[in-house]
Amino acid sequence: MLVAAGIVFLGAVALLVLARVRRDEPGLPLFGENERANTALVLAFGIAVPVVVLSALFVIANLVLLSDTDAPAADETALTVEVVGHQWWWEANYPESGVRTANEIHIPDRTSVNVVVHSADVIHSFWVPELNRKIDTIPGRTNRVELYAEEPGVYRGQCAEFCGLQHAHMALRVYAEPAADFRRWLTQQAEPARTAGLGGEAALGKRYFMENACAGCHTISGTQAEGTIGPDLTHIASRDTIAADTLENTPANLYRWIQNPQSIKPGDKMPGLGLGARKFHAIVAYLSELR
Amino acid sequence: MAVAVPREGQRRTERLERIWKESSGLLGWLTTVDHKRIGILYFFTSLFFFAAGGVEALLIRTQLIAPNQSTLDPATFNEMMSTHGTTMIFFFVVPMSLGAFGNYLLPLMIGARDMAFPRLNALSYWIFLCAGTFLYVGVFTGNAPNAGWFNYVPLASRTYSPGPGIDFYALSLIFIGISTTAGAINAIVTILKLRAPGMSLNRMPLFCFAFLAVSFALVFALPALTTALVLLELQRMLGFHFYDVVFGGNTLLWQNLFWIFGHPEVYIIILPAFGIATSIIPTFVRRRMVAFPLVALAEILVAFLGFGVWAHHMFAVGLANSTAIYFAAASLVIVIPSGIQLFAWITTILTGTPRFQTPLLWIIGFIIVFILGGLSGITFAAIPFDQQLTDTYYVVAHFHYVIFGAAVFPLIGGIYYWFPKVSGRMYHEGWGKASFWFTFVGMNVTFFPMHILGLAGMPRRDYTYPPDMGWSALNLIETIGSYLLAVGLLSVFVNLAISLFRGERVGNDPWGGDTLEWSTSSPPPEYNYAVIPTVSSPYAMWDREDRERDAELLEQGRKTLEEGHETAASTAVDAEWDEVLDMPSHSPWPPLLALAMAGLFTFVLLERWIAAAIFIGVMLAVLAAWHGGEPQEA
Amino acid sequence: MSEIPRSMEATGAGAVARVAQRRRAQPSGWWGMALLIATEATLFSCLIATYFYLRFENTEWPIGGIEKPSVTLPLVFTAMLVATCGPVFLAVRAAKRGAPGRAWWWLALAFAVQATYLGLQIWLFADDLGKFSPSDNAYGSIYFTLLGTHHAHVAVGLLLDVWLLWKLARGITNYRLIALRVTAIYWYFVSIAAVAVVLTQLYPSL
Ligand code: HEA
Ligand code: HEA
Ligand code: HEC
Ligand code: CUA
Ligand SMILES: [Cu+2]
Repeated sequence: MLVAAGIVFLGAVALLVLARVRRDEPGLPLFGENERANTALVLAFGIAVPVVVLSALFVIANLVLLSDTDAPAADETALTVEVVGHQWWWEANYPESGVRTANEIHIPDRTSVNVVVHSADVIHSFWVPELNRKIDTIPGRTNRVELYAEEPGVYRGQCAEFCGLQHAHMALRVYAEPAADFRRWLTQQAEPARTAGLGGEAALGKRYFMENACAGCHTISGTQAEGTIGPDLTHIASRDTIAADTLENTPANLYRWIQNPQSIKPGDKMPGLGLGARKFHAIVAYLSELR
Repeated sequence: MAVAVPREGQRRTERLERIWKESSGLLGWLTTVDHKRIGILYFFTSLFFFAAGGVEALLIRTQLIAPNQSTLDPATFNEMMSTHGTTMIFFFVVPMSLGAFGNYLLPLMIGARDMAFPRLNALSYWIFLCAGTFLYVGVFTGNAPNAGWFNYVPLASRTYSPGPGIDFYALSLIFIGISTTAGAINAIVTILKLRAPGMSLNRMPLFCFAFLAVSFALVFALPALTTALVLLELQRMLGFHFYDVVFGGNTLLWQNLFWIFGHPEVYIIILPAFGIATSIIPTFVRRRMVAFPLVALAEILVAFLGFGVWAHHMFAVGLANSTAIYFAAASLVIVIPSGIQLFAWITTILTGTPRFQTPLLWIIGFIIVFILGGLSGITFAAIPFDQQLTDTYYVVAHFHYVIFGAAVFPLIGGIYYWFPKVSGRMYHEGWGKASFWFTFVGMNVTFFPMHILGLAGMPRRDYTYPPDMGWSALNLIETIGSYLLAVGLLSVFVNLAISLFRGERVGNDPWGGDTLEWSTSSPPPEYNYAVIPTVSSPYAMWDREDRERDAELLEQGRKTLEEGHETAASTAVDAEWDEVLDMPSHSPWPPLLALAMAGLFTFVLLERWIAAAIFIGVMLAVLAAWHGGEPQEA
Repeated sequence: MSEIPRSMEATGAGAVARVAQRRRAQPSGWWGMALLIATEATLFSCLIATYFYLRFENTEWPIGGIEKPSVTLPLVFTAMLVATCGPVFLAVRAAKRGAPGRAWWWLALAFAVQATYLGLQIWLFADDLGKFSPSDNAYGSIYFTLLGTHHAHVAVGLLLDVWLLWKLARGITNYRLIALRVTAIYWYFVSIAAVAVVLTQLYPSL
């Protein structure tokens, strides 16, 4: 396609250069001053060439390619993942196993995965450039797209439809892994959060988490935290990134984030709660235990 | 009439001068109905908006110069991005082309003495000024629109955008929509009715065909936008539920309505540029356009076909495949009329003997850039490709090539071309050429890398981007390009501003121009033509005998229409002379009506319904006063 | 050129009639109104398209148990409005033939019926508002918006009538004849729009 475009472009520029070279001679090269030849030239380049080029392009792109990359029917796929766009993060659900996570989607490689997308608020667009085209998440609608990774690896994705203040920081990661690794991951994610054997500071952190507004917005399964406004934190420590691929998931960053999310994603839906350094450190200790 | 006007003719022109004279000074400008003055007002006002949009663009580029910058916070960035798009599209290109160029040139090109509805014309301008001011009051009070220029719901609903920014956006666009509709109707009637007797449609310049097509497109496209906006405001202000899924509304309704308007709008933006190109090329290559009827037809076809492709902006919303394929095919069909025009220009240049002066340079720049932009547009018609690239910088690259390169270059070329006509002076050719090269290079340095960024996955409307994506270098280049671009554009206007006072004086026809406007003096007198011109081809100025005949007619006092504010009206197709019209002269009512409307919109914005109703009353009163007198009573 | 009429100078009934007879093309005002009608018709098309778009995106219509519209009265009223095209047409004909007095009476008759129509419609509108409201759901929103837009167009037409009646009472001129013709095509348009609107409005009951 780019080649065809290049040829058309260069051809036209060549004609302009020719015009410059022959600027003192009226009429066409070879044909001279000939109105019929002029019109024929216009018709040839303006109608005939485009019709041929475009028909070819149309057939290849829209009839062949489109059906090749369509989302697979639900019963043809090994796996369905439900993705929900939120201002400004991604919720991911695995309906078959009840797993719920955020911003990091794991899929088995060499498998066509059926991704079903919804929106919790405004329109977003789910897009992992290396794995397939984008699809909008639209309130009141359900859309689907296929994800297929030939090679294992980490693929970055990003929200592509303008969705407000932090549209720029609404990325995600897709981890394509060999099937066995994927199974292991899924089983581990299906477990409730760790409650037993928390260290002293972590146990304290858990208390602060539950006592404060955190629990009203986030779910940590197996605890009384059941909020649904923010991402599920049941296995937050197993994730590589936080805040929709904005920060790497390290204790220092976790601290920075929960202590003042507004300095990292200004306008974000998560408020800074001002609990003081001691409590925040304890919460970070707790969250770091949630593998 | 280059020859000295003998005495009898002199007496007549003086008489016309007296009849058509408007008062000078501020009051004269406020109450003017002269299409040339209104055109000039349009020009400066839309130039101002261009500068505003340009400053916003430079702020955007400065923020994106490197990753993780904080020149603008995200809220301001989104406001700048939205205001930039809205300003450029609604308050710069359309008023500049239809308002400034259309107003100034259409009557001149068809040999008329004014627009068909001179006071409506003034009203259009004043509404445009008020609507633009209205939007910018929002911007300066911290209430700029911030949901992008196409303002998708539900982001634009009260829930997600509680502030009045969206109301400023919606109301100012409804407001300016009135102006644009009135302007379009005025242009159509002027073209159809006021052509000099003898200028049947096939003898009309291609410029006028382009404007005719644009105006028709506006008449049918704008209501879709108005509907979308009115429904939005009903939802935002009165709690209606058009776009609200929970109550049976639908989010895609907005997108459909917006793009039913939005796609025709992009051809509305480009067609005047086509018209300008078809005026400049023949003059500078010294031959008539190749394939004239095909080009005229193509101009109309582009406007017409533009109505059938809107959903190609919605390929990622999950359309049924069959729907998407239809819209892709329709988008491809548009290539044909574009291709015809393009190769008609190229062939004309090739077969003529071109003089590469500044106006032609801009047109050649336009041709090159339009091909690139058009080709990237075509790539979207491959649906899978679009679904990759939609909402990335590839789209931004596409539309700046077609809008900035292809629509604005000819406008600038046109400004150079008609500058001597409007000002009576010549610009500085060396600087003119330099400004072109600056802008041309700047334009490509700014916007070409965006194709690559888009292909590399950079989404549009991101206020910043991470450092490790490999996007930084290209963004830096773009930003440098945009500064270059700004320098280029600034040099255009500095050149013209200086030439306005220092430029060499020119006669009627410094270029050997092709159309009628070159036959009258520079600047043209209030009445445009002392004699309603004789026309026997679309290149009226090159028909020497006709122009000599005009001079004779002036001597004999025929076709001079010197008994009042008069002009000739003809039949729509064959341009047979049908009647002599009495045109209204200066009037205070248009600016007053526009002000009353501004009051109405302001109080609607504030949701003060009683005050709004009072302003409707004021509007009716002004209208009644306006229509109190009749031409024959004056 | 003497053979070309200075049409605006026609200020008596006879002169006006002569200009009207000699005209080869529609006057500018007529074109202006025709184009205004074109935009307004597009506006109505968009609203009606919106109605059906919302209709087909919902399973239930009217939404939320709102009663289906009753058919008889709206249809009768619409017929009434459409019928006024007759007197409007006759008013134009009379004016063109140099009988401004008769034109005035025809127009006055049309005006009376049209005003009654609007009154009755507003009464129905208020009655509907008592049953459900535009902020109940999307059905209510588009229902009242469509009707309200139509009524606003009728109201504008009535204002044009009033202004014309006032002008025509002071004699006829070419300008007023054009105004009358223009108002007439406006009313033809409003009548056609009324039919489209009422059919849309009654769609759930048809
Ligand atoms: C002046 C304005 C203008 C013009 C003229 C065009 C011209 C075209 N545009 Fe563009 N477009 C925009 C302004 C314009 N566009 C804007 C503003 C947007 C983005 C809106 C937004 O999202 O903010 C947009 C977005 C846009 C999209 C949606 C992208 C997306 O968001 O996913 C698409 C999809 O089909 C598209 C297609 C086209 C096509 C097919 C043409 C065709 O008309 C082009 C035809 C011309 C040529 C092809 C070149 C000349 C012809 C030849 C050289 C002949 C030979 C050619 C061949 C053999 C191919 N445009
Ligand atoms: C006519 C339309 C038009 C024009 C001319 C431009 C011109 C420019 N645009 Fe614009 N742009 C849009 C229409 C236009 N744009 C639209 C519709 C969008 C989409 C918005 C959205 O997503 O919602 C967009 C988005 C857009 C973006 C993407 C934002 C994002 O997605 O985050 C960027 C980024 O670089 C950009 C840059 C520029 C630049 C550098 C110019 C430069 O070319 C500007 C150069 C101009 C000047 C520097 C002004 C010079 C003027 C004078 C010198 C006059 C002097 C006179 C007086 C002082 C009286 N534009
Ligand atoms: C008002 C709701 C709200 C409250 C209260 C809240 N959060 Fe959040 N939280 C969110 C939202 C929304 C996000 C997603 C932010 C984003 O990425 O844009 C989030 C994200 C996070 C994340 C990153 C998760 C990920 O996977 O990216 C962590 C960790 C977190 N919150 C911890 C906390 C802690 C600890 C507290 C209490 C001190 C807390 N939150 C209080 C709403 C809230
Ligand atoms: Cu979510 Cu952009
Ligand atoms: Cu388009």
